[in-house]
Amino acid sequence: MPSSFNINELQLKYLELETLLDITNELNSFDQISVLLQEILIKSCGVLNASSGLILIEDNNSDVLAIGADFNLDISVLKGLIFNKKKGFISEIHENRKAININIVDDLFLSKTECSFGLIAPLLDKKNLVGVIILFDKESRQGISPFQESDGNMLSAIATQASVAYNNIKLIESIKEAKTFNDNVMQSIVTGVFTTNLMGEINHINRAAANIINLDREHVLGNHYEYVFESNELLNQLITKCEFESKTLSETQILLECNGKATTVNISVSPLLNDLGEPIGSVVAMEDLSNLDKLKSTFKKYVSKQIVDQLLENEELLNLGGQEQEATILFSDIRGFTSMSETMAPNEVVETLNEYFNLMIEIIFKYNGTLDKIIGDALMVIFGAPIAHQSDTENAVKTAIEMQEKLIEFNQNRIINLKQPIKIGIGINRGKVISGNIGSKQQMNYTVIGDSVNLASRLCSVAASDEIIVSETVWKHVKDLKIFKSKKLKPVKVKGKIKPIEIKEILYNRPAFHYEYAYNKIEAYLIANLPTQYTYHTIDHIRDVVEQAERIAKKEKIPKAVIDDIKLAAWLHDVGYIWEPLRHEARGAEYATSILTEMKFPKSKITLITGMIMATKIPQSPKNIFEEIICDADLDYLGRDDYDANSSGLLQEIELSKKLNRKDWIKLQVSFLNQHAYFTNSSKKLRSPKKEIILKQLLETTK
Amino acid sequence: MSDFITSVKEMNGIILIETNGYLNNVGGEEISAICYEKMGLGQTKFLINMAGTKIVNSIGVSILIEIIEKLQEVNGKIGYYNLAPIVSKTFNIMGLTKYSTVFETEELAVNEL
Repeated sequence: MPSSFNINELQLKYLELETLLDITNELNSFDQISVLLQEILIKSCGVLNASSGLILIEDNNSDVLAIGADFNLDISVLKGLIFNKKKGFISEIHENRKAININIVDDLFLSKTECSFGLIAPLLDKKNLVGVIILFDKESRQGISPFQESDGNMLSAIATQASVAYNNIKLIESIKEAKTFNDNVMQSIVTGVFTTNLMGEINHINRAAANIINLDREHVLGNHYEYVFESNELLNQLITKCEFESKTLSETQILLECNGKATTVNISVSPLLNDLGEPIGSVVAMEDLSNLDKLKSTFKKYVSKQIVDQLLENEELLNLGGQEQEATILFSDIRGFTSMSETMAPNEVVETLNEYFNLMIEIIFKYNGTLDKIIGDALMVIFGAPIAHQSDTENAVKTAIEMQEKLIEFNQNRIINLKQPIKIGIGINRGKVISGNIGSKQQMNYTVIGDSVNLASRLCSVAASDEIIVSETVWKHVKDLKIFKSKKLKPVKVKGKIKPIEIKEILYNRPAFHYEYAYNKIEAYLIANLPTQYTYHTIDHIRDVVEQAERIAKKEKIPKAVIDDIKLAAWLHDVGYIWEPLRHEARGAEYATSILTEMKFPKSKITLITGMIMATKIPQSPKNIFEEIICDADLDYLGRDDYDANSSGLLQEIELSKKLNRKDWIKLQVSFLNQHAYFTNSSKKLRSPKKEIILKQLLETTK
Repeated sequence: MSDFITSVKEMNGIILIETNGYLNNVGGEEISAICYEKMGLGQTKFLINMAGTKIVNSIGVSILIEIIEKLQEVNGKIGYYNLAPIVSKTFNIMGLTKYSTVFETEELAVNEL
């Protein structure tokens, strides 16, 4: 073969450089991710003599990568497979963030491609893995072979360029999405909104604002606000004042006259600021107060938007004169609110009730309930009046379940903030009611009355905390839907009924226990009750043990679910000092059993936790890794710089019952340190060396 | 016909080959098989329409070079047209254009080969 025909290394390097240059030059010209990825893959395969290639790219910011591009590969064999960032070769590249060679046969998924060798490089967004580029089987005239180290460097260089381009496209897409979203929001909201720039020219106006001022957007945009609103001096003054004072101003009930139309509006003008807080214009919001909207906004406080809209569309549906009809009635009330409110300040009571009612009423309207009354802490809700729907009873039950479920979230926040949780009971009944405007000439209210209403109220009284009790009539209406679960309860005798009433409890997901609640409760209990004369077994020591237990558990790779139990045991391990210092482990375990049972912790967890508490008894006797962790956490200070401070505290506490001379105290410490050994590997490694030094120092002092 | 070679025909004593897809080891072998078969039948001029080939690797190029060597022994020629820019660039860098010709159109190629 003539020498000039040989493809030499130099030519290949030149080709690589040219390809990299091409990629760098071209990448920013793509505006679609799929096109970009395909182009990168094709060029990478070509320049590195790969027989085929694949790009896996992030899927909705999850840990799963999806196929973003493929080349010369039968990807039907990969369809439906989940490529997880945290598994297999992707996890390796996720950690190392550099190109790696792999044997394809070693990978469960990629081996389906029937390729042999792979070269993989990461696509990164800063330090986060957003995808991988995989090349398969380096070709040569002798067949296929693994990729070389230099191929890895080249692919890494291409991947770096590709990552920049990919991230740019993503950024542009998110900006476009945000803009479209903002435009859609602006166009959808019923409040009229327009903005002005520093020159006072209107640069954005939404549909509602254009309707209020009765002008096309095209006639408004680019014009000065004083020109557009020339006959509306008050509005112009507000905008001008806002520009000068750079603060939000508002006016209610302004009559706005534009292009032959007069509309009463509430107006608020706020300064528009850039990222640096500098003014760049103003934003004006106008609330149309025409009669219909006034009526709507008033009415919506009592019934859902959907019902208001139906009523306004068809007034005949509204029979306020009084009629007999079927309806479903829901009653709820807060259990023990009276006694709870006695421990709260008046403003806290009001604040709590408002937060609770806002949450509940939102759910009621979501399911088209009509809020009939708020009676103290109780709610009465009607489904089926003033407008009846087939799904009224189903909606009532759904409302009850969602009220209970939302309350769980609501209570979690309260518990974390050391506030008492709110518990409610709910009763639902369906039957004939008389509906209409009931009251005196001076004050009338739309409501429903009758025996069925009274029974709903009685069922609410029967319901315990967290329970939803329904009558047999309600259950008959919803049971065929097969979406609710129920438990038959014993018939109950209620006031006004001769025969006991058949009832059912509606079941829903109730979490049984909360760690944060338990931690907070126990900590508060310790602070209030630990004897103040103690100088070692203090709340600071317990907090330290909790902190060290969590640290050691993480080092020992204990699952999160058990770390919570270990922390709970740490909080409780010295609680027995409150009653009986000499038997504090046993008393602590007794207390733990009682309080954790009350908090609905499972028996298995309580056994685990009490075992950990008992294991701290000196000499420590751990029987498993969890007990080892708490033992090490309890005596963690033996190998720390703050050993002296802790031992002084301990000496002071011991001297509450017996005096020790210095020599005896040192002897006691030496003996204790000599007998002690850490159990966990992490504590041995971290604390033992310092403990040895401390022991040596103590021995020195005895010479 | 394979997926890579989509058409082989003769025009004015020139074998016209159309390709589609990656000109790599596999694609290159397919071209060489056709060329050697036709050379056995006395054909010496080949023209490849590469409109469907968007990428080529150096192994594909080295196979084309082997075909050129064989053709030179029988005073034959090979040419190409409809090249994607990246393919054209790779042919230049690999030195292929020194021993064979890239044409603008099929008509020019048929006239000049």
